[in-house]
Amino acid sequence: MHLSREKYVSYIAGLLVSLTIFSGILLTFGYSPILSLQSIAYGAFGSIYSVSETLVRVPPLLLSALAFLVGFKARFYNIGIEGQIYMGALATYLVSTQLASLPSFISITLMALAAFAGGTAWLAVPLFMRIKLQLNELFPTLVMNFIAVLVISWLTTGPIKDPNANNPQTQAIPSSEWLPILIPGTRLHIGVLFAIALSLVVFLIIYKTVLGFEIRASGLSPRAAQQGGVSLSRSVAAVGLLSGGLAGLAGMFEVAGASHLLAQGFSPGFGYQGIGIAALGSFHPIGALFASFLYSILQIGGETMQRGAGVPIEMIFILQATIVLSVLVVQRLVSGRR
Amino acid sequence: MEELITAILSASVALSTPILFSSLGEIYDERAGVLNMGLEGIMALSALVSLWTAYTTGSFLLGVLAAIFVGALVAVLHSFATVKVGVNQLISGLLIFTLADSIANFSYRRIAATVVPTVQPLKPLDIPFLSQIPIIGPFLFQQNILLYISIILALAMGYILYNTTWGLSIRSVGENPMAADAAGINVNRIRHICVIISGIMAGLGGASMTLGYLGLYQGGIVAGRGWIAIVVVIFSRWSPYRAIIGSWVFGLGFSIAANLIGTGVGIPYYLLLMIPYIMALLLILFFHRGTRPPSSLTVPYSRK
Repeated sequence: MHLSREKYVSYIAGLLVSLTIFSGILLTFGYSPILSLQSIAYGAFGSIYSVSETLVRVPPLLLSALAFLVGFKARFYNIGIEGQIYMGALATYLVSTQLASLPSFISITLMALAAFAGGTAWLAVPLFMRIKLQLNELFPTLVMNFIAVLVISWLTTGPIKDPNANNPQTQAIPSSEWLPILIPGTRLHIGVLFAIALSLVVFLIIYKTVLGFEIRASGLSPRAAQQGGVSLSRSVAAVGLLSGGLAGLAGMFEVAGASHLLAQGFSPGFGYQGIGIAALGSFHPIGALFASFLYSILQIGGETMQRGAGVPIEMIFILQATIVLSVLVVQRLVSGRR
Repeated sequence: MEELITAILSASVALSTPILFSSLGEIYDERAGVLNMGLEGIMALSALVSLWTAYTTGSFLLGVLAAIFVGALVAVLHSFATVKVGVNQLISGLLIFTLADSIANFSYRRIAATVVPTVQPLKPLDIPFLSQIPIIGPFLFQQNILLYISIILALAMGYILYNTTWGLSIRSVGENPMAADAAGINVNRIRHICVIISGIMAGLGGASMTLGYLGLYQGGIVAGRGWIAIVVVIFSRWSPYRAIIGSWVFGLGFSIAANLIGTGVGIPYYLLLMIPYIMALLLILFFHRGTRPPSSLTVPYSRK
């Protein structure tokens, strides 16, 4: 990804602006900004275990960002990623209960397919409404999030709840179906590598294939693309399927990699954070890779900050939103001056 | 059965008030060509601020004013980013949502560490005689003052939008900013004003939840009403008049869910909570014909 000088300026300026605001808020409420930043750094990098936790947080964030940005390229704004993550996770869990006797390579592959299909299926209604009824996808995708969260809440408190658990969650999936662990003693699973690889795959699809060219053309100038023989419906259908599928895989990595079970409300808003990450990464798959690392560092470090410096975790969400907003504002200001 | 129907109808109006306030502001905003996806967050923040102000000062009026102020303040940020600078409206709105919602939850955590603020919600105003009519009485004539204000505002905002030069300017800015500019209208000034109106109205929406019927704050209390308000805008085809009906339909959905939970019908709690969202989806599906957003919605304007 080539970064222009304006981009560099906007990233540095945006970070400085948001750090200033962050420190200002902390000082106002009587916390020490230095101590908070230190405990963020310590929480994210202090030990092998904390580094591994930071990396484990990357797949759901990165895949959500990729899911949003592929749609964005064709002007299909999928803000229902949160719900699609839950449905991917549900599909993973349901399939996992049927496959205990299979070799793990096969069962994991089948789970991935199911998760991809689950995420896509949850996007099917909004996608149909967009393509066949020309209805804007923003609200159908968003409303489906609320329904998905409630479906999972209902299932994990009732029909598929682990009867021996106090928390609303299912039983653990069979260990033969866990994603392989990369460093023993940590939760670092192979899904992290897959997620990074997927950002390369998305990059190749969007920038190096004919389909990707058509997708970008339909996004940049729908009318010109159509006159050039590009089918807008085809582009939207393609990004829709890919977007829902990537979100579904995020759900699978959480179930089969990070927690080994399906729990009520397991996503702290990955789907929404993915939109900020995609924007921070300039809607480029490799940019999203870097941005998702930043988000992950802040979140994992933020949990330590909450315990260590006593700063509520919400401060991290405020910081994340401020970073993205300041970078976007500075970016526009810098590029508008030319 | 009559009791249940009375309860459902009566609560449906109260529950629709926050949605109506917020959707009215969003209608002005979108009519001028700006999408504000931050409503949900603005409502959460102003719900907390109005509660806290009313709790500390004992004055509901100050609570409402504080909510309006905070709503406008957050909206200024959105309007600066989108109208002035030209950041993507969808992205900016979602970031504003995260920002306002997180500030609300952050502040509440700070406040609740020492005291849990609660107030006695506004008492309903009984309109003499009319409130005695069975079913209809409690439904329409036994509501708190914020409901009546929201209806009056809907009618006034509808009148302004369709019958005054001011309204014409707003509509022309949203439909054809270049022509509006040529006619001497300051496009971006109208847009700034309309974004701030959407913030003020979402502020009222938030206040109408905590002061109107909840009397307390909790993370996530807005429960999607800010998003639903945006659906109501589409469903009412960008008309403040139709928004009255539109938001009531969703108030009814929330009310059915809330009232059935108490009665022990055999349906699981979480499935009942889905009712308003499934309604939202079905309504968009069946009433989408003829819905056309303002032409320049989400397109920034600058003289080239």
